[in-house]
Amino acid sequence: MNMDDKNTSGAPAGPISEEMLSAWVDGELNSEARARVQAWLHDHPQDQALVGAWRADREALQQHFQPVLQEPVPPALLAAASRRRDPPRWALAAAAAGLLLTGALVGGGGVWKWQQQRHVEQLALQRQQLAAGSAQGWVQRAAFAHSVYVAEPRHAVEVKAQEEHLSRWLTRRINVPVKLFDLQAQGFELVGGRLLPDGPGKSAQLMYQDAQQRRVTVYLRKPEEGTPAAFRFEQHGPVGMFYWVEEGAGYALVGALPKETLLALSQAIHAQMVPASVGAAASAAQPAAPAASGSR
Amino acid sequence: MDAPPAFCRQLLDVIPRLRRYTRALTFDPAAADDLSQQALERALAHWRQFDPQREMGVWLLSIAHNAHLDTIRRESRVSVTDPADLQRVQDDRQADNSHTPGLRLDLEAALARLPAEQRQPLLLVCVEQLSYAEVAAVMRIPIGTVMSRVCRGRAAMRQFLDGHSQAARPPSVTQLKRVV
Repeated sequence: MNMDDKNTSGAPAGPISEEMLSAWVDGELNSEARARVQAWLHDHPQDQALVGAWRADREALQQHFQPVLQEPVPPALLAAASRRRDPPRWALAAAAAGLLLTGALVGGGGVWKWQQQRHVEQLALQRQQLAAGSAQGWVQRAAFAHSVYVAEPRHAVEVKAQEEHLSRWLTRRINVPVKLFDLQAQGFELVGGRLLPDGPGKSAQLMYQDAQQRRVTVYLRKPEEGTPAAFRFEQHGPVGMFYWVEEGAGYALVGALPKETLLALSQAIHAQMVPASVGAAASAAQPAAPAASGSR
Repeated sequence: MDAPPAFCRQLLDVIPRLRRYTRALTFDPAAADDLSQQALERALAHWRQFDPQREMGVWLLSIAHNAHLDTIRRESRVSVTDPADLQRVQDDRQADNSHTPGLRLDLEAALARLPAEQRQPLLLVCVEQLSYAEVAAVMRIPIGTVMSRVCRGRAAMRQFLDGHSQAARPPSVTQLKRVV
């Protein structure tokens, strides 16, 4: 890549500038320029790796700050947005006592307005509480871990697939039976795995890759006691994820792939699941097989 | 005359987004909420300037952006990329193990090392998903400048994440003591 090239005007010949690759990642090019970049990337694997990393960074940034949206808004900000002022004390007193006609009018107006604003605030709070139920913390972490490590061309995993102890090691560390799922029927080969921090505990990430170098990750962790078994789908920008909890283990399958592909992979994983009795948890109860009952 | 209720409702709706952007700008939840509050107050005071054809979120982000610039100018000795302060923020985070410290810090640390003029457009594009044209309007710079700053910002960030941080680290670390 010629870094000094400033030809971003879309002239038909010549190398593609870094700025143009960057604009391509952000979807800012017209169709003609887009086609040129695509042709260029086809012949320049290094640039292909670069835009792949940039794209993953874009995704990682988004994931990183996404949880802020679910936080409850501090009351000070709600007040600032609705410019809530408590009605003056004299007005309240006058309205309550009804002693002065003018006082009652002014004060009553103040109270009414104040109540209107309270209503707007409560609506906003409610909306937030609903939104907060949509994704759990660990699912966000699974998505984030995905974005970080799929972008790594050479250090995507800590332990490679060939090493026999991968499954044993991860099983011991996260206290959940870790099986190296075989996704070859779906065209995905195991790259390897890594151990990750997961809130106060630990989790494991397995990475798979297909012939087009597309990667998916499986995130495994020990769920909190009493987490209900459920099978859900969420889409965050280009990245989709199926996640489910069974007795003894929480799973999230993450990838920038069509929902159908992710579903097929999830079903393959589910079918190969280690019975819980083999591992730490003693129950062999199996929840209903995954179906396309995405929450979104 | 106070802002109409419809305006206030729209404003309330975009607070979470405003908080996300200010958090990404400052890395510090308390400072971020101060900035958000300033932006909301300004928005309310100037509600007549809001063009209902425009998107409230983008309008509010541009107000927050300007408020942030004012803060930087006013406290010109305070650097948002102050490494000493960043370390404190990181320590706080590590104590709070509901997050995944190892992962978060890499990204935030890399982001923090970018000059503000690159970090802002990069965040607006990647996190807020604004188009280059919208970023140009928010930052009041030409689209071509947005394009090159986003590119330089993400290239530098990737280098930091790849571990080539030594060469690009700001040389004047000790001068950046926070004075508050």
